[in-house]
Amino acid sequence: MEKFVAFAIKYGFLIVMAGSFLGFGLLEPSFWSWSNMFSILLGITIVGILALGVTFTLIVDGFDLSIGSTAAICVMISSYVMVVLNIDYIYAILLSILLGITIGLVNGLLIVKAKIPDLLATLGMMFLIQGLQLIPSAGMSIGTGMMLADGTEAEGEFAKQFLFLGQGRLFDLIPVPVVVFAVLAIIIYFVLQYTKWGRILYAIGGNEKAVKLAGVNVERYKIMAYVLSGTISSIAGILLAARIGRGDVTSGGGLLLDAVAAALIGYAVLGVKKPNALGSVVGVIFIGMLLNGLTMLSLPYYTQDFIKGIVLVAALIFTFGLSKSEI
Amino acid sequence: MIDKKLLIRAVDISKTFGATKALSGVSFDFYEGEIFSIVGANGAGKSTFIKILCGYYADYEGKIYIDGKLVKFESPRDAYEAGIQVVHQSIEQGIVQNMSVAENLALDMIISPNASFVYDKKKVLKRAKEIASKMDLEYLDMDKNIQDITQSEKQMIIIARALATKPKLLILDEPTSSISDKEAGMLFKTLYKLRDEGVSILYISHYLAEIKKISNRVGVIRDGKFGGLLNQPLEISEIVKAMVGDLESAFERTYDEKDSKKLILELRDLVVQGSSEPLNIKIYSGEIVGLIGLIGAGKTELAETLFGIRRPISGEIILDGKSVKFTNIRQAIKHGIHMVPENRTVNAIIPENSIKNNITLPFLSFFSKYGVLSKKNEIKASKRIIDDMGIKCEGFGALIESLSGGNQQKVIVARWLLMKHNIVILDEPFQGVDIKSRRDISKYLQENTRDSAVLMISSDIDELMDVTDKIMVMNKSKIIWSEKTSEVNRDKLLSLITQE
Repeated sequence: MEKFVAFAIKYGFLIVMAGSFLGFGLLEPSFWSWSNMFSILLGITIVGILALGVTFTLIVDGFDLSIGSTAAICVMISSYVMVVLNIDYIYAILLSILLGITIGLVNGLLIVKAKIPDLLATLGMMFLIQGLQLIPSAGMSIGTGMMLADGTEAEGEFAKQFLFLGQGRLFDLIPVPVVVFAVLAIIIYFVLQYTKWGRILYAIGGNEKAVKLAGVNVERYKIMAYVLSGTISSIAGILLAARIGRGDVTSGGGLLLDAVAAALIGYAVLGVKKPNALGSVVGVIFIGMLLNGLTMLSLPYYTQDFIKGIVLVAALIFTFGLSKSEI
Repeated sequence: MIDKKLLIRAVDISKTFGATKALSGVSFDFYEGEIFSIVGANGAGKSTFIKILCGYYADYEGKIYIDGKLVKFESPRDAYEAGIQVVHQSIEQGIVQNMSVAENLALDMIISPNASFVYDKKKVLKRAKEIASKMDLEYLDMDKNIQDITQSEKQMIIIARALATKPKLLILDEPTSSISDKEAGMLFKTLYKLRDEGVSILYISHYLAEIKKISNRVGVIRDGKFGGLLNQPLEISEIVKAMVGDLESAFERTYDEKDSKKLILELRDLVVQGSSEPLNIKIYSGEIVGLIGLIGAGKTELAETLFGIRRPISGEIILDGKSVKFTNIRQAIKHGIHMVPENRTVNAIIPENSIKNNITLPFLSFFSKYGVLSKKNEIKASKRIIDDMGIKCEGFGALIESLSGGNQQKVIVARWLLMKHNIVILDEPFQGVDIKSRRDISKYLQENTRDSAVLMISSDIDELMDVTDKIMVMNKSKIIWSEKTSEVNRDKLLSLITQE
């Protein structure tokens, strides 16, 4: 019995995942087609990248609630730069990333130096950014040919190269955002698993004081975790802008919760009980696959959040509930 | 013991966890009116035995008789109803915060399923006073909030409450671990009184001196088996022998000041805190120096200054001939000053990590190239020190939590001895460490302190007498005395430590 529980904790999640993969394909053969596989992956890239970002802050026992809104403001800023200011798309990318780094740095300083609890600091930041993103365009979405405040038409447009980031395909098959997601995931997995920085981040999450007494500049590492979270969120924002091809003011909705849910589901993968890159990726793929498969089996769209909730709660039971509690 | 009534017998108690046999065939008898102590090294099976007796494990083997009748405990409730009362180590777990003294005393009346629906303050107060009188606690203000009384008063309340149920057996698990010596003295007086009234007490403690002082008999559990039963007169050496077998006598060191030694650390007029007097200390290579003093004597402050946690007010730290200044821990480590902090759970252990990860933590740069860790080198180094220090574990990859307290402490000491250093400071290194592990650590330090030095901080004379070459006494932030350990007179030392 004990062995069974241990096995279930370690592999249960992956088995359920493989089972649903098989099940969907058997019920609906087109589920297994390459085009559907990539459509699933394309659907999850933005949330997946954000989940990787939030993983860093979860590892140091923190939290970043501002990831979704950081991505959203980057959608707005890159659209604004290209459409309204009519400047080269490179600046749209650079400015977005710079903004992501700045937001992360401010979050980190608020938490580490001003000692504001992580949830509160990033909640405040989330609000601030959500408001800020509306200001340049006076609350309107930004699209090619939009009417500006002075009555003239915006002259700029989304650069082709920029749109390629969101809509292009490599070899006419693999969507570019999927490639970006895969590359980021591999780099982050490697950093967390095989470098001293990853080791120290996890150690800080385990016992911050002990790491400090081992001579590590803990504050710097914690700030770095938030900077990475902000930076990665801005990359997600750029891809999102490129994908939808306009600066939609509502584009950030739902990103935060989906990303956090994926990262938390990731705790259950291989029973590691910790935030981890592989888990976050698997978590987000699992949700994407489930929603895709269920939609093919004509599940109504409005049940999607309910399904995600069930998966999250089940994964949390796997992670925390099944492990033995000592008296 | 013949004239005393046999109350409880535990016969051939065994318990297995998965593949490991935690306890096999342990039997003890408990008589009325005696204090019986159970001792054992960490991980010997002591707490498993107690838990079975308290009904925490339903799937034990063996028989428990109460007043000659066979009983089978399925839950803590069964043990409770059979008259076995436990006072757990953690005082905070035994009281209910935000309730008054009276409510805590009469807790049963408030929370039992049969309690009346309406809260009758008078009844509660009456009952609380009854319970308090048994332990001479009437002096307590019954309306006071429980948070406003001392630790030992809280503990007395817990014991009083346990006694109110008229238990057959009162189990006290490490009751002195969070109270002062003076309070412990009061606790013992209470225990003697209860014993003379016929209560059977099962006492568990790490402190062998306590065990020797208060026990009528001592039962020993060793490696999960019955390790012996000792009667008065008790000798600590006998108890230790029964617990861990014949210990190798401590490594004989020939400590001679004339040896070709090198001055490693010198403090010149170092002022650690605003009001304290300047310190002048010299520590040579190959020395194990003990620093003793009461809590608040300034030992921790000195250690923190040496380790770069705080900055000195004035004066010089001279390391290996060079004057050094640290502004952070990292620099201290770079200069070869390592420190094992006190209280490993709070200050040192990284939970849910392997032994290897816990050992190499401060030196990850050494084990990595461009940030990428060389697990091979890490494993090699960890394995070496695990073997050298005799850390009992399933391998370098085992989680730190899977080790006994003593072995966890060895891992933390290993962390700071792993790399070359000038001096390693150990702050209260033997807190919650069983005697076998303590000996292992001491022996390792004695055998391996050659080109470096050790500064061991403790408030326990015997610990320091065991290991060190030299002892310094700190009193009110000042080193008032220092002498070779071989020449130290214990009583003199004691008076120096406590002198006003």
